[in-house]
Amino acid sequence: MHGSRSARRRSLAVAGVLMLALAAPGGAQAADKVTITFANWASAEATTKPAIEKVIAAFEAAHPDIVVKSEAMSFSEIARTLALRVRSGNPPDVAQLAGNDTFLIAATGKLEPLSAYIDAKLESQIKRDALTGLSYRGKLIAFPWTLAPAGLWYDKAILQKAGLDPQRPPTTIDELTKAMAAIRKSQPDVIPLGLDTTNRPFALQSNWPWMATFGADPLGAQHGDSAQMKQYLGWMRDLAKNRYIDPGRKIGEFRPLAAQDKVAFIWDQVLLQGVIQNANKMSDADFYQRWGVTTQPAGPTGKSFSFEGGHQLVLFADSKQKKAAWQFIQYLATSPEAIRDYTLGPGASLPPLVKMPTPELEKKLDTPIFQAFTQTIIPTVTTPPYGPAFASASSAIMAGVQQAVTGSEAIDQVAGSIQQQLNRR
Amino acid sequence: MRVALAGNSRRPAARTAERIPWFDTMVLPSAGVLAIVVGYPVVYTLVLSAEDYNLIGTTPPRFVGGDNFAKLVHDPTFWQALGNTLVYTFGSVAIAALLGLALALLTERASGRAGRIVRALLLTPWAVPFVVVAFLFRYMYLQNGGAINALLLAAGVIDTPISWLNVASLALPAVMVTNVWAMTPFFFLLLAAALAGIPNEVIESARVDRARGWSLVVGIKLPFLRNALLVGCLLMIIANFNDFAKIWAMTQGGPGYATTTLVVYVYRQAFESFAIGYASAIGVVWLALLLVFAFAYLRALRVR
Repeated sequence: MHGSRSARRRSLAVAGVLMLALAAPGGAQAADKVTITFANWASAEATTKPAIEKVIAAFEAAHPDIVVKSEAMSFSEIARTLALRVRSGNPPDVAQLAGNDTFLIAATGKLEPLSAYIDAKLESQIKRDALTGLSYRGKLIAFPWTLAPAGLWYDKAILQKAGLDPQRPPTTIDELTKAMAAIRKSQPDVIPLGLDTTNRPFALQSNWPWMATFGADPLGAQHGDSAQMKQYLGWMRDLAKNRYIDPGRKIGEFRPLAAQDKVAFIWDQVLLQGVIQNANKMSDADFYQRWGVTTQPAGPTGKSFSFEGGHQLVLFADSKQKKAAWQFIQYLATSPEAIRDYTLGPGASLPPLVKMPTPELEKKLDTPIFQAFTQTIIPTVTTPPYGPAFASASSAIMAGVQQAVTGSEAIDQVAGSIQQQLNRR
Repeated sequence: MRVALAGNSRRPAARTAERIPWFDTMVLPSAGVLAIVVGYPVVYTLVLSAEDYNLIGTTPPRFVGGDNFAKLVHDPTFWQALGNTLVYTFGSVAIAALLGLALALLTERASGRAGRIVRALLLTPWAVPFVVVAFLFRYMYLQNGGAINALLLAAGVIDTPISWLNVASLALPAVMVTNVWAMTPFFFLLLAAALAGIPNEVIESARVDRARGWSLVVGIKLPFLRNALLVGCLLMIIANFNDFAKIWAMTQGGPGYATTTLVVYVYRQAFESFAIGYASAIGVVWLALLLVFAFAYLRALRVR
């Protein structure tokens, strides 16, 4: 009996020592590790989730002292969620943002200015235009992750079937209107133009270049009831009346239809190629044969415009791990692994770099689509007056656009109601 | 015998039991939780409604008294949203109640396996989550590829597809149809149960008096269903006043403001414009209207 008790004590002691021995190094490692939180929608979307997880894993392998805790949020909810988290003193360390949302969160004053983090070498690697649009009140508040301007995509087979030259897409609004009429007549089941007319800030961002080509600037010197704005609204009404657009659809809802050859023109970002190929498994060669992309057809101003819908990375001022967070931001935007697996991956966008870090990546960018975006579309990018005012105006302006598109009130009345709403803000 | 029964049924149960005063304190924990969970947000909303407070921006909240309410009075979108809310709520509830009543009366005599299957099928829409219902109808209403347009075109009712959710005059009725489809089973269930509760003796004696068909429904059954209908309608009015998911999923309040209800307008003000003060003022008006219906509901319960 006594012997068995002492044997039990001995084995307990050995187990205790073993546990301590096993736990000690791990415990020391855990204490040295830094955890950063990363709020993003890349891990909330099925298309990009595997890619971002792979990139995060690669980053953690390359930086064994940093753990990244990814927080998935939907694209449409991320700004609201972050605004509330900032107010409650619980922001993440790093977040993925885009368009007006970046400036909305910057307006809280809780984003870390990044100028001090960017050395001359890094600055020389980044495209100048990619950085200049990301300042708020004179401070650089975000780092470019991907560039995703919008262009006018066209399905060459549909154009050909309508008796149009697939190698000569429309260059003016008049040509576009004629092309859509021909498409509607020859292929009634095809949507001539995929255009987002929902009531949300992204839709205003997407429609801003169309307003601009008519000379309208509802938040600037030109008001919501200017002659230019009325001309734009009138054109939109004609599009709907002739059934050239399918009002109320989000741009994301046109993409699967485009993959099924049911959309002739689509006003969409560079990522469309990845979405279409992901949906219909089309090869690169087939895709380039079928699809082309060009600048927006010019309106009365004679100029084409585009919007930059790329994604940015922001660092929160309240982050306790700014050094690690900045390392992560840099990795996502500039590392060959992140560019290969995420930026040029399923949601194919353009990296913000002047020169690719490897020849393999340089070759990947040598496609007709990427070349069209880089050489002809990016120079037409116009930046709307982003910020809180843009967010509150978006509802008023897009409600007016919807009224013009779907209602029967006179265009003058619709434009007047937009301006009234803008005055009331 | 009858007098004795009536006397017993009217005697409140609480009065027959011995009252133990310290038992009253047992309600305190629940009251405390309610004060925190319900009371605090309500009071804080009242405070916010008197402030100029934007969630985005570095300016601290500023007391503006009744300015937000004065702004509301001159805001045409608020009045349109209020009108849409009333049309959506009362229209949907009235139609769903009538349909539920008709279905309950039609299936009253359905028995056996067939009857059970019919009842189960009629209840199915109630089991589908509202967001799923909204998305199903949204896709059915599509101008290109929507099932409703395909059916109407095939039947020769229309020549060209209609953009149901994107024509200002059609959007609200189209959303209401979805709401009625989702809500009718509730009334069917409630009224079928109330119909089953009508004593057989009453129906038999009515039949002896040659009451048949419509006269039996109007003269005998409907008075028995009155309380159930009243309570069901009030409950659904309160629920529909707060209905956000269906409208947001189908139209996001558009086109223009054609389907914007108070709850959608509050959401846009609070989470798109981040105008928390103004959104709270709308919320206070909305709360006041809901309190009227809640009071009516409580009175209806007491009368029963």
